Amino acid sequence: MSMEDYDFLFKIVLIGNAGVGKTCLVRRFTQGLFPPGQGATIGVDFMIKTVEINGEKVKLQIWDTAGQERFRSITQSYYRSANALILTYDITCEESFRCLPEWLREIEQYASNKVITVLVAPEVSFDITSITCISCRFVGNKIDLAERREVSQQRAEEFSEAQDMYYLETSAKESDNVEKLFLDLACRLISEARQNTLVNNVSSPLPGEGKSISYLTCCNFN
Amino acid sequence: MADSLPTEFDVVIIGTGLPESILAAACSRIGQRVLHIDSRSYYGGNWASFSFSGLLTWLKEHQQNNDIGEESTVEWQDLIHETEEAISLRKKDETIQHTEAFCYASQDMEDNVEEVGALQKNPSSGVSSTFTEVLDSAGLPEDSQSSNFNSDEMSAKHTQKSDREISLEVTDVEESVEKEKYCGDKTCMHTVSDKDGNKDESKSTVEDNANQPIRNRITYLQIVKEGRRFNIDLVSKLLYSQGLLIDLLIKSDVSRYVEFKNVTRILAFREGKVEQVPCSRADVFNSKELTMVEKRMLMKFLTFCLEYEQHPDEYQAFRQCSFSEYLKTKKLTPNLQHFVLHSIAMTSESSCTTIDGLNAIKNFLQCLGRFGNTPFLFPLYGQGEIPQCFCRMCAVFGGIYCLRHKVQCFVVDKESGRCKAIIDHFGQRINAKYFIVEDSYLSEETCSNVQYKQISRAVLITDQSILKTDSDQQTSILIVPPAEPGACAVRVTELCSSTMTCMKDTYLVHLTCSSSKTAREDLESVVKKLFTPYTETEINKEELTKPRLLWALYFNMRDSSGISRSSYNGLPSNVYVCSGPDCGLGNEHAVKQAETLFQEIFPTEEFCPPPPNPEDIIFDGDDKQPESSGTNNVIVATLESSEEGKNQESPEKHLQN
Repeated sequence: MSMEDYDFLFKIVLIGNAGVGKTCLVRRFTQGLFPPGQGATIGVDFMIKTVEINGEKVKLQIWDTAGQERFRSITQSYYRSANALILTYDITCEESFRCLPEWLREIEQYASNKVITVLVAPEVSFDITSITCISCRFVGNKIDLAERREVSQQRAEEFSEAQDMYYLETSAKESDNVEKLFLDLACRLISEARQNTLVNNVSSPLPGEGKSISYLTCCNFN
Repeated sequence: MADSLPTEFDVVIIGTGLPESILAAACSRIGQRVLHIDSRSYYGGNWASFSFSGLLTWLKEHQQNNDIGEESTVEWQDLIHETEEAISLRKKDETIQHTEAFCYASQDMEDNVEEVGALQKNPSSGVSSTFTEVLDSAGLPEDSQSSNFNSDEMSAKHTQKSDREISLEVTDVEESVEKEKYCGDKTCMHTVSDKDGNKDESKSTVEDNANQPIRNRITYLQIVKEGRRFNIDLVSKLLYSQGLLIDLLIKSDVSRYVEFKNVTRILAFREGKVEQVPCSRADVFNSKELTMVEKRMLMKFLTFCLEYEQHPDEYQAFRQCSFSEYLKTKKLTPNLQHFVLHSIAMTSESSCTTIDGLNAIKNFLQCLGRFGNTPFLFPLYGQGEIPQCFCRMCAVFGGIYCLRHKVQCFVVDKESGRCKAIIDHFGQRINAKYFIVEDSYLSEETCSNVQYKQISRAVLITDQSILKTDSDQQTSILIVPPAEPGACAVRVTELCSSTMTCMKDTYLVHLTCSSSKTAREDLESVVKKLFTPYTETEINKEELTKPRLLWALYFNMRDSSGISRSSYNGLPSNVYVCSGPDCGLGNEHAVKQAETLFQEIFPTEEFCPPPPNPEDIIFDGDDKQPESSGTNNVIVATLESSEEGKNQESPEKHLQN
């Protein structure tokens, strides 16, 4: 791996109702853009941004839902092997907040055991602390928002506290907190990855670590 | 979420099995507007994998045979115009029959438990005794009672907590893999620590067997609690490492969504014993089962098979013979003949010709060593992941997904004879140019002339491997030859917990053969040969060497492969049919079918070309330079892919290194 230009690579998965601004959030972070009237992004599986934290290069691979959340049809495989999940809702949309428990259930059911084995203290079967709850204000400008807010910060804080989640309000449009969200997440992922290596003292591969096929090497019968 | 579906598409695909999903990805990839729907609440149809609770729900749905009118559907008859006619679709899936489930693990539980995070798909009080039957005539123990498992809700907090306790203990076990066997009782005591009775019981078992290796005691309660760890495939298949599916996954870059484990062992069943088959050069030379002479014979024969086409004189005279007859003429001991026929060619059928046999061996040898020392790969989290991966690819290129969406009928234009729309259960009309539908959605009327084959399946949860070795993390395939000539060989796949398909200290065993009777009648004799039912009480020594059955399920699945299009009545020319899973070991049939149909519909288009590497995409219209370290930007304008796309690395890989 000495050839690689980074020290860590993490897969971060975004979920939440359609239209809450997941894609805007990713694009704001990875490209510094706020694309108005953003339609579905065709052909983009995930976006990548490399950040430096305490001198270490961390490559963040940020996956979007590819529109499958629109009719509640996200594939289970989308959640597999995610290192962190970002649960997103829109503060101007009560419905998107009320759906959060439903999303949590889905995460509990399908999110990878690898979240556990790779990142989280192994005695915890599913670590909700690795879910970051953010709200994303992206529609209209700030004055609009003050009037249109449907979910109070207090309610969201109570919810995230009850679920042992980290809570942050962002604005992809104004870029408030977007950088902070991903950088904080990266820091936590690094420390958990470290801890995990220490705890397990891995010399042999952990169970459940598969290989992607393009990786396995060749050695033939003859 | 209250969105309603768009109504104009190029291609509507009904069913999310493997061939349909590959087609969806292929169509969307070339810019077609794809709607992909499934009437079920999960992806994959009969290709799906389930958690334990998911499987019980599935089982229950298939045992309640006569619940046709669920939700109210809008009448479609009025929506058909005068110039149109309708072809109605089937209301209920009828591809699964003869389901029988048995629980052998101890079911004494005072608490009502449910799988952590189980989705309450059926809010009615869960899985009742209907899914478990008492085995009477079969000579299996009396105490395999009906299950009293009840999925009444328990506070989520509580469930979560107890689950953590279990995991904590299991982690201890994990720390010293060598000692895992001997820690089993510890795990057990911990998990049932709220029940003193059980604690004592497991202790006494330990003492009784003091001079024998201590076996883990897994209760039904544990299986239910750890149910999320299971990913139980309805169809048991493996990927040939040089097979069509692997090639397609790599070519289309869908491989980035899925990870694999090597199958680690090929086993043979001979004279009542399970043995490991040496198949690579190193295996052959390290084998203790083979004599020096045998090793040379086998190597010589295998080397010949690799290039058999260049030596026609060696087999020409035997073209008409069966492969087993041919093998007798080669200088091979009965031992070797058995290995070659059943475990390498994996073709026990007496109908197999010499050429087919040689071809099978050649294919086996070519696959060998590409990714490991057996020719097979198994996808982590089960076979059910693979259709979903293609669906993801389709969605990334704009395909629209909707599960739990039923289609009532096709609308056919009388004049042109072509299908122009479907009408869904909301009475909404959705127009498209092409329609792809999985066989099980077609009505009895459409299928009245079709002769279906059946597949017999068994799913077992066991406590030990069928062939114990130093490592308890082996993935194995075993072909059990037919007991009497003319019957079918049974394919057995044993998966360990590191394939992410079963909980720690258990094995998930799949049995498959083409049906002659019900699944239980076809497979039970093999199950009895390899396993012994779990009992709490003393077991005799001979039985102790066999793995114990904790839970078993038998069912028959319809095999709709190999049906010619002309067998279906009155299908419009722009409606294409995909089959359900076939009985074969590989996925070649599904891939071939998808590619053939794709080329029929879009003869000039490329099938699943590589997508652009996400790292190289530059978005159109980004006139602003990105703010920071930007090697990674972005355009959707050209979808030319770079070679690096194929070398996409998975994050996990990096974390380990």
